Amino acid sequence: MKTLLRKILFVDLFKGMALTFKTIFKKPVTVRYPKEKRAIEPGFRGRHALVRESETDRERCIACTKCAVVCPSQCIHIEYVINSETATRSLTKYEIDALRCIFCGYCEEVCPVNAIVLTEFYEYASYSREENYFDKEVLLKNWDEFIRQYEGRDYINKFWYLPGINRERLPVGKRQPKAIFKTKE
Amino acid sequence: MGKLEIEKLSDSNFILQMGPHHPATHGVLRLFCEFEGERVIKITPDIGYLHRGIEKLSETKTYPVAMTLTDRLDYISSMINNIGYCLAVERLLNIEPPPRAKFIRTVVSELTRLSSHLLWLATHALDIGAMTVFLYAFREREQILQFFEKICGARLTVSYPRIGGVRFDINSFVLDEIYKFMDTMLNRIDEYETLLTENRIWIARTKNIGVISAAEAVSLGLTGPALRASGVYYDVRKHMPYDAYNEVEFEVPLGENGDTYDRYLCRIREMRQSVFIVKQCIEKMPKGEIITDKAIDIDISPERKRLFVAEDSLWSGFIAFLDEKRELIPKGEIYSAVEAPKGELGFYIVSDGGGKPYRMRIRAPSFIHISAIPKLCEGHFLADVIAIIGTLDIVMGEADR
Repeated sequence: MKTLLRKILFVDLFKGMALTFKTIFKKPVTVRYPKEKRAIEPGFRGRHALVRESETDRERCIACTKCAVVCPSQCIHIEYVINSETATRSLTKYEIDALRCIFCGYCEEVCPVNAIVLTEFYEYASYSREENYFDKEVLLKNWDEFIRQYEGRDYINKFWYLPGINRERLPVGKRQPKAIFKTKE
Repeated sequence: MGKLEIEKLSDSNFILQMGPHHPATHGVLRLFCEFEGERVIKITPDIGYLHRGIEKLSETKTYPVAMTLTDRLDYISSMINNIGYCLAVERLLNIEPPPRAKFIRTVVSELTRLSSHLLWLATHALDIGAMTVFLYAFREREQILQFFEKICGARLTVSYPRIGGVRFDINSFVLDEIYKFMDTMLNRIDEYETLLTENRIWIARTKNIGVISAAEAVSLGLTGPALRASGVYYDVRKHMPYDAYNEVEFEVPLGENGDTYDRYLCRIREMRQSVFIVKQCIEKMPKGEIITDKAIDIDISPERKRLFVAEDSLWSGFIAFLDEKRELIPKGEIYSAVEAPKGELGFYIVSDGGGKPYRMRIRAPSFIHISAIPKLCEGHFLADVIAIIGTLDIVMGEADR
């Protein structure tokens, strides 16, 4: 009897409609994207960049090719020359095909000198494929564009010093207590 | 709508090609439907439009690197795919993650289950015609994706777990936020239920649609909520507990009739259980390490060449193995399964001792569930085919691999 009455009076439908009616008065959860932007969480894996060391004005990369070895989509291409006197390597080519990249973050994790970084910048869609094929100069420029937001603050990438992981397990260059990038004052 | 080719065979039968580009097929599933009037006589699913060769491709990647491919299997529950793969490799290596990593994994896999079920509820309801639920469910899914962004820096393709643990620690602020969100989540699930469970249109569209008996469901190999809605008690989390599932209490919701409505109720109840599991895990969360010392590094050498390099050299990351057997990963084979939101997700890995899997076979629940579509659709109307595809919760990325 009760269920029949509920059926005749459309109780089930009106309950749902009451809920949707209540939602009218709530604040919308949507963000009008190009005008407003949602804040990006630190450690977001976005556009690639090579860290420019402020003292030398060059990249930190030592051409160990670890990132190119570990990259799942093999989008990093590195060429280097070995100085025969000092046995050090110097970078001649460093290219990232950003359209192939799957943004796993393995490259910044294996990098022993914290040279490569996936910045928190994500709006870099382009009309041509060439624009998203980053060579060394573009990667350094990406870094300059990105670090400008951190004016006066220290930048800490959480992939550079993986929190919670035993320090002995990390590469030598990553064992310092906090791998930070200090911006110029 | 995609291009529909209608071919008339006789006076009564006609063939309708549904898909591969059809909003209700949840990806690129093509159905070859044979109708008599408006009733289905036979349905033949056609798959393979999203084949990327993940199984073969993983044979060319080292074990840690192949994990990033598993993100792309079921791209809306990538966390559980990663955990399933890592568990398989861990069992092969005979290592175990520390307790904190186990609890973190349980939290994130239950959050993934919530987000996957929310997406299922949203699209399933949208296919049947309830648009409001779609918008409400995406509101909560967005929150869960934001938690993932906080935890690991990516929203969908997370690559968060690591063989032998997890990649990052979750700090206590994020855990508190998740705990708070779980309370609101319970209210939200009640909201979805107000909109659907008693709704007469929803009941008319889902009750007695796609009924499958327990025996048939077992013989077809269904797993997950699709099997449990028929009343079969089978859950990998209970029967082969992994991570921290044997340290938390939860129920496995079971259905009775095995129709679309029961599968809906099963998943809704499962979402509530997920909320309870996450809460328990956060309460019991131990402190300590998040990755074992025995875990393999992500830059292991695949060629088994490097033996020992001085620690401060550039190649120190390639120190891979030092024992006389010269095996990076023990020889052997392993099958290990996890309870993905869709069903039992299994990884079968054959190792020949090298740094790469010799063969990796993925038992994808969606692939097996697609084979149940012909059985479920028998004698139903065309509109019910949409409801049945929705209720099986198919993701083509996993089915085609």
